[in-house]
Amino acid sequence: MRNIITIIVRLTLSCLIAAFVIGLCFVLTSKAKKHNEHVNEEKVIYSLLGYKGDAHPPESLKLSVLYRYVVSDPHGKSIGYLVPTGQGETTAFSFIRLDLDGNLIDQKQVAVGAEDAVEQEGRDKAIQAALGPGAELTYADKTIIVTENGNRISYLVTGKFPGFKTFVSVMLALKPDFSVRGLAILEQEEDPGLGAEIEKDYFKNQFIGKSFETLKTLDVVKEPIPEEYLKALESRLQKEEAAKIREQFKDHAIYALTGATISSRSVTNGISGTVKKFAYRLNILDKVIKDQKIVVPF
Amino acid sequence: MANDKTSMQLVANGILKENPIFRLALSMCPAVGISTTVMNGFMLGIAVLFVQVCSSVTISMVKNLIHPRIRIPTYTLTIATWVTVIDMVLAAYLPEAYAKMGIFVKLIVAFAIITMRLEMFACKEPVGASFWDGLGMGLGFMIGMMTIGLVRELLGSGAILGYDVLGFKPLLFFILPCAGFFVVGLMMAFFNYIEVFYKRKKGFTS
Repeated sequence: MRNIITIIVRLTLSCLIAAFVIGLCFVLTSKAKKHNEHVNEEKVIYSLLGYKGDAHPPESLKLSVLYRYVVSDPHGKSIGYLVPTGQGETTAFSFIRLDLDGNLIDQKQVAVGAEDAVEQEGRDKAIQAALGPGAELTYADKTIIVTENGNRISYLVTGKFPGFKTFVSVMLALKPDFSVRGLAILEQEEDPGLGAEIEKDYFKNQFIGKSFETLKTLDVVKEPIPEEYLKALESRLQKEEAAKIREQFKDHAIYALTGATISSRSVTNGISGTVKKFAYRLNILDKVIKDQKIVVPF
Repeated sequence: MANDKTSMQLVANGILKENPIFRLALSMCPAVGISTTVMNGFMLGIAVLFVQVCSSVTISMVKNLIHPRIRIPTYTLTIATWVTVIDMVLAAYLPEAYAKMGIFVKLIVAFAIITMRLEMFACKEPVGASFWDGLGMGLGFMIGMMTIGLVRELLGSGAILGYDVLGFKPLLFFILPCAGFFVVGLMMAFFNYIEVFYKRKKGFTS
């Protein structure tokens, strides 16, 4: 009996000490971690827009973030968008609810600061407070609309779809006509040397310049990449020459990776699907915003 | 139980005579699964080295307080604590490395080599000797992982440290996990052969 008590006491003590050490470490590192994630995201965004390394984006460039939610309440499901409102330096947010046919249900002011809106916890709380009890919120995704002097120059869309092993998560930069401007693979766990090659320039740069019409029916071919196209994709050529060759292959199907046809195909289909859905949703949202004369910064 | 080996002998012991991968054949799962490139092997090696040294020193310090019946749970708890600490520190200060090795770091809790060294060495020996033993074992593991990684990366993707040296991919098969078994097996045979050869030369019969 005494033995058992000693064992219990000692194990509990060890666990408490371990918990204390881990807790202390968490407190010390959590701030740096959040900061890192934020910086990393910003880096991806700006490099997609073409501001790599030390090139600073101009002051006139502005990012507006839309958060999409699925709302379930006793009346059924609806789609909600948290959008910033007003012109210039905005701190006000509105939650626009649309039914599944794309008609406006209601629009509510959400009392949330710009700082809090970035964090999911604070944002969810504020929207919940605005909607009142009974509605259940599910966060879906976010979209960033980039404007320069009030004109839209780009959309940044995140997408997640199954690859060969697990989910592949990407960020796409689209031009206002929904053609692809840039692609970044954020997360993937494909096989190194095979599927993981989707991160390489010679695969992902194939998507750049594909128009919306091409994307809709984009296919994968199992053929070796032509030598000159490969050079252009890996930016080993002069800019003008590379642009010319790329123009030539603009509407061509995606060349699959050797030994990773499934990964290539799922990325291609995933991107095509992401863009199609995004274009559909944005058109509906734009129509509502225009009809209701909501003042938005984008 | 006193230890008469010097610190350098302890380190060398971990790297050569009792190399975790090639001689003790412990922690084969990561050796096979992760060592697809030199860089992967190196990063996991660094993490294991750190966990091994920290846990060895911790256990050696508190060895008189550990109840003999609960020593294994205590080891696991110690290892888990250090792994969590490393996981958090890496995520906070080296996010790029963490993105690549995040899931492997959490796996270290279950590495046989660390528990085995705590049981065999750290719970009997003084702090200093445990430190050197941990360092030796960690380095041995790291070198083993990097050697396997070198072979697999060269044969699988024709590159070393991400630089294309061959210009073509000799055998894509070597990238896949199953090829890890072949590489480890062949290298074990190679090291054993060297040992036999060396002993014969010196006049021993094996």
